[in-house]
Amino acid sequence: MLKVQDLKAGYGRVEVLHGLSFHVPKGELVTLIGSNGAGKTTTLRAISGMLRPQSGAILLGDADIAGLPSHQVARRGLAHSPEGRRIFPSLSVEDNLRLGAFVRLTGVREKGDVEADFDRMYDLFPRLKERRAQQAGTLSGGEQQMLAMGRALMSRPEILLLDEPSMGLAPRLVEGVFDTIRRLKEEHVTMLLVEQFAAMALDVADHAYVLENGRIRFQGAAKSLRNDPAVRSAYLGGH
Amino acid sequence: MDWISTLLQAPTTSIFWQLVASGVAVGMIYATIAFGYQLTFATSKTLNFGQGEALMLGAMLGLTLLPYLGYWLMLPVILIFGMAQGAVVERLGVRPAIETKSEFGWIMATIALGIIFRNMAENIWGRDDLKFPSPLPETAIELGTVRILPAEIMVVVGALLMMAAVETFNRRSIYGKAFVATSNDIDAAGLMGIDTRRVITMSYAMSSMTAAFAGVLVAPVTLTGATMGAVLALKAFAVAIIGGLDSALGAIVGGILLGVIETLTGYYVSTGYKDVPGLILVLIVLAIRPAGLFGRRTIKKV
Repeated sequence: MLKVQDLKAGYGRVEVLHGLSFHVPKGELVTLIGSNGAGKTTTLRAISGMLRPQSGAILLGDADIAGLPSHQVARRGLAHSPEGRRIFPSLSVEDNLRLGAFVRLTGVREKGDVEADFDRMYDLFPRLKERRAQQAGTLSGGEQQMLAMGRALMSRPEILLLDEPSMGLAPRLVEGVFDTIRRLKEEHVTMLLVEQFAAMALDVADHAYVLENGRIRFQGAAKSLRNDPAVRSAYLGGH
Repeated sequence: MDWISTLLQAPTTSIFWQLVASGVAVGMIYATIAFGYQLTFATSKTLNFGQGEALMLGAMLGLTLLPYLGYWLMLPVILIFGMAQGAVVERLGVRPAIETKSEFGWIMATIALGIIFRNMAENIWGRDDLKFPSPLPETAIELGTVRILPAEIMVVVGALLMMAAVETFNRRSIYGKAFVATSNDIDAAGLMGIDTRRVITMSYAMSSMTAAFAGVLVAPVTLTGATMGAVLALKAFAVAIIGGLDSALGAIVGGILLGVIETLTGYYVSTGYKDVPGLILVLIVLAIRPAGLFGRRTIKKV
């Protein structure tokens, strides 16, 4: 589904990613883990076009999307729930979700039943239904995270990129986020998950890549990495 | 301090209400231009400092087309022309600055384009002020003791309709919501599949369209000439500061406030001091409410 080959990217003259290669097979959940500053967010930004990569290929299906502006990447079926959630604060919850379906409502992607997907999101996140008319900026952090995920799903993406969905949330809410991810996995949504809570990410993922200083240090089936002594001591706090 | 006692008795006189009425009409023109500033500021945090020239071009071209098309057919042509003119300003002056991340490049570029448009107009239409015939009767309507020109009523109604149309578009249509989303968070809007560069171009098109429309509205009330826009655009800039750069209601209230204060000062104090109270108002607003009287601060939780 998504294949990244020798991706180099950075900010200005500073190269952050020194040639990453990995792939996300259709219907699977792949996670990128690693410490702060390893380049996880930069990877997602380069894939979705928020950041122009310096070199390398990013294949979405058969097409190379490297260097395309983000709106064109979105139109090809990639949804990115970015770091910091980035919901539209002055718009209502419902309008945020509706804008998630922008590519469908404007005829760029197949329209399908947008109204049914509203119901699906409200079913997935009942709190959003209660607050559908409320300004999104007034939501709590956990609710904003639900909205960011729901908004990304409204495009009916081929692949969903999730950047630190647990960031800044109370432990109980983090559980909720991972429950949602599990549920999406059961529905065979293809996902690329970036997380600092490595243990939880490895629990839900099929496959994992460990990033260190802009390079892939380890990779493998999530279960085997979870039990790998080197990974455990460096990234799972020895637990 | 003679004028103070005159001023205190003023509201009982019909001339006072006469002045208020003209002030409201002028103020609505300021409001329309200020509204245009808000449109581009929302999407790109940039302003078209050639907005006055967009207004002037609308009025001048409208005057030229009038004999061929008649008033009501001329209007849509001017609206389309305004859109095209705004798009040109964005492409030539603003986009290069945005793309090179030049923080102030757009200021000089839009001022320069404004001067170029003004010079072109002087060469095409001359330097003399021209008379723009009103489509409505030239005789004043009497409301009690106040006499109002039909053209002045048209200014107010037309300006309100234009702003209502744009606001409705923003609130109701998916493209309008894309506009608001872009003004909220331009990167996140891109992730939704919204072509934010096009949204910015469209905001300039809509901004110049409102200005060109304001030009046609105000031309029968004032005179029409190559320099007619400069002062109006400056006053509208003050209105945008008073009302806030993100509130249409702020533009209307600020516009009317400034228009009325000006006409009252011009009559009761001296036309020489006409502009002073308005500018003092700008200073006061900047000191106590920098976001403007109606400026919103969006709640943002992290």
